[in-house]
Amino acid sequence: MAAVTDFDRALAPVYHQDRENKYGLVDWLTTVDHKKIGILYGAAGLIYFLIGGLEAVLMRIQLALPDQNIFIGDTFNGLVTMHATTMVFMAIMPMIAAFSNYFVPLMIGARDVAFPRMNAFSWWTFFFGSVLLNSSLIFAEFPAAGWTGYAPLTSKGITPSQGIDFWWAGLTMLAISSMVAGVNFVVTILNMRAPGMTLMRVPVLAWMMLVIQFLLAFSFPPVAVGLILLAFDRTFGTVFYEYTMGGDPHLWQHLFWVFGHPEVYVLILPSMGIVSEILPVFARRPLYGQHAVIFSGIFIGFVGFGVWGHHMFTSGMGPIADAVFASTTAIIAIPTAVKIFNWLGTLWNGKLSFPTAMLFAVSFIPLFTIGGLSGIMHANAPLDLQQHDSYFVVAHFHYVLVGGAIMGLFAGFYFYMPKISGKMMSESLGKIHFWLFAIGMNVTFWPMHDLGNRGMPRRIYTYPADAGWNVDNLLATGGVVLMAIGTLIFVYNLVTSVKGGRDAGRDPWDASTLEWLCDSPPKVHNFDFTPVVYSERPLWDHKYSPDMAISVPTQAEEIHMPSNSWKPMYVSIGILMILVGLLLIGTLPFSWLLSIAGAITIIASLIAWVTEPV
Amino acid sequence: MAKVAQARSPYAVLVRSSAKSLRFCLSPTTRWAGRMLRTIQPIRLPDWYTRQFGLLSPARTGSTSRKSLLSPVLLIAAIIAIAAVAGCSTELAPRDTHATISDSGNISSFFYKMLLYVDIVIGVAVFGFLAVAIVRFRRAAGDDSLPPQNHGDARLELIWTAIPTVIVVVITIPMLVGLFQLAKHPDQNQKIIEIDVTGKQWWWDFTYKSGTANGLQTANEVHVEANTAVVMNMTSSDVIHAWWIPRLTGKRDATPGRTYPLYFTPLEPGIYDGQCAELCGASHAVMGTKLFVHPPAKEVEVEYAGKKYTLDSYETWAREQMASSVAPATPELEKGAKLFRDKTCPACHLVKGLEGAESAGQSVTTGPNLTHVGSRMTIAANTLLNTPQNLAKWIQDPQAVKPGAKMTKIAMTPDEAAAIAAYLTSLK
Amino acid sequence: MSADLAATAPAEMAHDHAHDHAHDHAHDHDHDHDHGHADHGHHAVVENNFMGQPNIKLAMWAFLGSECMFFGSLIGTYFFYHGKALVEPMPDKVFSIGITSISTFLLLMSSLTMALGVDSMKQKKRDMARNYLFLTALLGAAFVGFQVYEFSHFVHLGLKLSTSLFGSTFYVMTGFHGGHVTVGVIWLTILAVLIDKGKLNPVKLPINVEVAGLYWHFVDIVWIVIFTFVYLLEFIQ
Ligand code: HEA
Ligand code: HEA
Ligand code: HEC
Ligand code: CUA
Ligand SMILES: [Cu+2]
Repeated sequence: MAAVTDFDRALAPVYHQDRENKYGLVDWLTTVDHKKIGILYGAAGLIYFLIGGLEAVLMRIQLALPDQNIFIGDTFNGLVTMHATTMVFMAIMPMIAAFSNYFVPLMIGARDVAFPRMNAFSWWTFFFGSVLLNSSLIFAEFPAAGWTGYAPLTSKGITPSQGIDFWWAGLTMLAISSMVAGVNFVVTILNMRAPGMTLMRVPVLAWMMLVIQFLLAFSFPPVAVGLILLAFDRTFGTVFYEYTMGGDPHLWQHLFWVFGHPEVYVLILPSMGIVSEILPVFARRPLYGQHAVIFSGIFIGFVGFGVWGHHMFTSGMGPIADAVFASTTAIIAIPTAVKIFNWLGTLWNGKLSFPTAMLFAVSFIPLFTIGGLSGIMHANAPLDLQQHDSYFVVAHFHYVLVGGAIMGLFAGFYFYMPKISGKMMSESLGKIHFWLFAIGMNVTFWPMHDLGNRGMPRRIYTYPADAGWNVDNLLATGGVVLMAIGTLIFVYNLVTSVKGGRDAGRDPWDASTLEWLCDSPPKVHNFDFTPVVYSERPLWDHKYSPDMAISVPTQAEEIHMPSNSWKPMYVSIGILMILVGLLLIGTLPFSWLLSIAGAITIIASLIAWVTEPV
Repeated sequence: MAKVAQARSPYAVLVRSSAKSLRFCLSPTTRWAGRMLRTIQPIRLPDWYTRQFGLLSPARTGSTSRKSLLSPVLLIAAIIAIAAVAGCSTELAPRDTHATISDSGNISSFFYKMLLYVDIVIGVAVFGFLAVAIVRFRRAAGDDSLPPQNHGDARLELIWTAIPTVIVVVITIPMLVGLFQLAKHPDQNQKIIEIDVTGKQWWWDFTYKSGTANGLQTANEVHVEANTAVVMNMTSSDVIHAWWIPRLTGKRDATPGRTYPLYFTPLEPGIYDGQCAELCGASHAVMGTKLFVHPPAKEVEVEYAGKKYTLDSYETWAREQMASSVAPATPELEKGAKLFRDKTCPACHLVKGLEGAESAGQSVTTGPNLTHVGSRMTIAANTLLNTPQNLAKWIQDPQAVKPGAKMTKIAMTPDEAAAIAAYLTSLK
Repeated sequence: MSADLAATAPAEMAHDHAHDHAHDHAHDHDHDHDHGHADHGHHAVVENNFMGQPNIKLAMWAFLGSECMFFGSLIGTYFFYHGKALVEPMPDKVFSIGITSISTFLLLMSSLTMALGVDSMKQKKRDMARNYLFLTALLGAAFVGFQVYEFSHFVHLGLKLSTSLFGSTFYVMTGFHGGHVTVGVIWLTILAVLIDKGKLNPVKLPINVEVAGLYWHFVDIVWIVIFTFVYLLEFIQ
């Protein structure tokens, strides 16, 4: 049996240009290394998860008892809006970006992404956009129209607050970031695969990342248009959402949900990919029906574009549109079922062990199933007329988002941190985290089904004592305490493990894909030699089927890695200037000069970008 | 509570046809499931049973496998336990979405029950397989042997694609039937109560379009008749709201610039609460509404919030409401009425029959019509009980009751407010 | 945003460099491998460039797909609101097909010069390519000029951004198209200047120009769609 230590013998490649791992401030600001960018995304995602969680905690405090007066009116609505916007766009999305940045190139045996500087540009655009969005609290007040920002509540006449302006400006930057990243990763995954890695040998996580990059690239433009129209309405007096001028508020809903529904699959598919990577490792057998799992992911991506109307059953689209959207929505249960059953098939007959990563991955299955099954209830249009905008929906999407997406991402952290830091995370703390979080999330979100059934609408800051919602709300608030403690333990575990954990070695889990072939943490150039791939489990076959061992070349490769650059950040700053200039129109005279300066910054930095030696 | 006959509701038909199609489609499914079970592997019960309870030799139950033995099982147990605590209380909630009292509401309730059963079956299957797999296929400490390395099975793949497909088809067909039922305008030959509903930040304006009440305007509280079809035309004059009485039927958005209908036939007299269900700004949480379902003929006694109330017949109620406001009968009330005028209340509110308040009729849509405000059960959109104290509190500082309320805060002394409140209370 | 696709070329080149080596090596390696176990000979090492597309071109295709959704949404909005404007002037009052036909013709011609530019670059005729690029940019700029004139003319006729749904949808849709043309003009100009100064890697030049051409043709096609469905349809009615 060949061993992973074989790879220690590989000769380091010969660089054509110096490049080493340095961690000074400038190195972080100018980095184009996919691994460092991944770490930046991950850190930002975690911090925003804490902030979004804190906002949830404040909401739950207000809702713990009936008739409370702690956060009322638009203060509460601002918390709801920023909680969701933060969690969706600034916590889960960057965590997904963290995994795709760090691991997709490793998984497919590449040395970096296709366009490293464009990658840095995506990161900085995300970063400035998220800061811009959150700075609304400092300069104005939180946007308070819900994360769905339905027109005409967002129009200037009804909500003059500048919070909404920060919202559209920030989201526009996040949209640009995601579209560019989408293009970059589509190319990376399609074109940068190691020799021999046919599409069907691409690991499932990388596949799911490929699907979501398409979703990002194609679903963000509609909402970008929606936001642009909103921005024009608010700054230049256009009348897109002005009903007095014939405008139709449904336009926004369509533009938003054409994006919004594919977006929820953007949030879940990576976690499904992570689960598909982890289950086989700890069952010690291949993923059951790998091709079916991949194709069902693609199918979900396609169908996901045709179901957006299920968020609008109560809006009066008419029975025919309702019927079409309801039926297509239900179809998504089929590819999802294929995934669930193949995971069960993977566990069945396996030799299961349960470190923390596996606990999270396994818990994904029942928790996501609960959320999916309530989704199927929503897909029933007549029933959804009752459930829409009630806490039943809140229960549905937290089961898929927290029980699905977040559980999967936690699994990913426990599974992949040893590769990133080279150190193991503590298993005992991990298990405490798991139990607190798993129990807490059920205690919080399960009663919300009941609240919805009992007629409690969502986004309300108070409720009367005699409506029969008291027990459930108190339970829901109690559960958050468990989740919060669990999360803090996780952060502690993560931070301390980076310095103090046990050494991980190349392949701590006896895994099967290429990322476990390189060092932990990987060298700047990832692989000392480009591995050649003969199956979908190259490393496993190296270890367990002697005739498929990856042989280590005896001579060093010659490579060239692109060097650091300031230009991506400059271009992002240019975009930030343009948007800030626009959102200040009407507040600050001549603010449009800032926009012009921004455009000039962009052009100048781009010229420098193209002519820069790399 | 007495059930009114449901002969006219499509409920029974729907149940019967759906049950039939369900049975038809499910019977092959169960047979497939049986075959699928056999293809996988027979469950050797004694083995995992003994392992679970640590009856095996120490060599096979190493400490690592022991420690986390019950974890996932516990998870599922926890879920079920919480479900039991939270989801299964039997007492009827005042706004229960399943104790519906209208034909269209019953359609939604029917689908909830149908899907609940479908979901439970699927859930039990998935959780069951998962639990068995977790318990049965644990890796014993020191066991380095490899499990089967097969990559899947095309036949199984086909089966577990086919089963959900069948389920999806089976649940979609009755759904389409129900969907078109809900969208059907009631028969034009029968008596119909038609009401225009306008959502406003943050109250509801109802204008009756038919029968005795034709032209009547009420705020926040809406009155209909049992067993009479109702057509509501929803619209809004600022942002999107949604009118929702959970015990009646599903919600319908009130969209500015557009009018969308909602059809239902209430079947049971009573008083039902609801509230706006679409985020509409600061006071969305306190944009309540109330529905009174009057008996068709003679008055009945109904229970609401633990108290008994007598409901007149719809016609009686409508006739009373169509009358002009009562003139102030005492000097005290006279003073209140004068203050009401002096404090510019009529700029936004209409009191039919009150001199100086009627002439401002054209701006009546700015604030609720107060002609019979004394007969309301609640004020400020189901937020405060209609007592003189609450009225005075509201009039003095509306924003303290509802953040951002669109009624201007008008300076007045507590005494003045009390006088106005007394006058308004007299407007039965 | 679109310009930096071409802009990344040097980085990309560097990368391909690394990749080329990897490939060479991989083939040797494959050879070694086959010695030991002939039964795996059928595991031929496959070329991984998706459909044979180089990175930068694939990126441009993906980006244009995204742009399709963008303009699809804008044009969709225009049609969603078509005929729903409540305030004069209506489209038939302001459109003048003659002038717009001229500018459309200029834009079409620019696609031709762009194609010629790509072609000359392929034939390594750098100066000729540079000239064609300049010409394309010039035609594009003329198109933008016409649009500026058209806009100011319409404003003169009383159609402002805030006048009606027609004003809002029309200006925003055609404005974003004009913006794309402007970006293209700047891009082509910079490209031509850099070619002139010899600042760009000659090996990668043809593909850079080709990618710029893809973008240009796309923007052109979008205009054809807008012209046909927005202007001509109005004219027919
Ligand atoms: C990760 C995010 C995520 C995911 C994966 C999903 C998945 C699904 N969602 Fe959900 N959804 C949201 C996030 C998500 N949703 C959010 C955030 C909202 C609210 C937005 C807002 O208003 O703010 C929402 C709202 C929402 C609505 C609108 C409700 C309303 O406002 O009225 C609907 C309606 O159809 C819906 C349906 C579905 C369906 C059918 C699925 C399906 O994909 C689920 C498929 C999975 C299963 C069915 C379970 C597993 C399958 C089996 C075990 C096989 C057998 C099953 C059958 C044959 C049924 N969702
Ligand atoms: C990915 C998405 C995501 C995630 C992870 C969560 C996580 C949580 N959500 Fe949220 N939620 C949404 C997406 C998400 N949510 C969306 C889209 C909406 C709809 C919004 C709308 O209507 O517009 C919503 C709405 C929503 C509501 C409904 C509000 C309303 O309608 O009135 C509630 C109510 O309880 C809630 C609660 C929670 C809770 C308790 C968590 C918990 O899981 C959070 C757990 C995390 C923590 C508890 C953090 C722990 C750490 C600390 C507390 C320490 C902080 C320290 C520092 C900052 C230093 N969420
Ligand atoms: C600027 C317009 C305006 C003025 C002036 C005004 N109101 Fe109001 N009033 C409203 C609006 C709007 C509401 C509904 C508020 C809500 O429920 O959110 C309302 C609600 C009420 C209600 C509750 C009605 C119900 O059915 O719930 C009462 C009573 C009332 N006003 C009395 C008065 C009195 C008395 C005055 C004068 C001192 C007054 N209003 C002046 C706009 C006005
Ligand atoms: Cu009206 Cu919410
Ligand atoms: Cu959806």
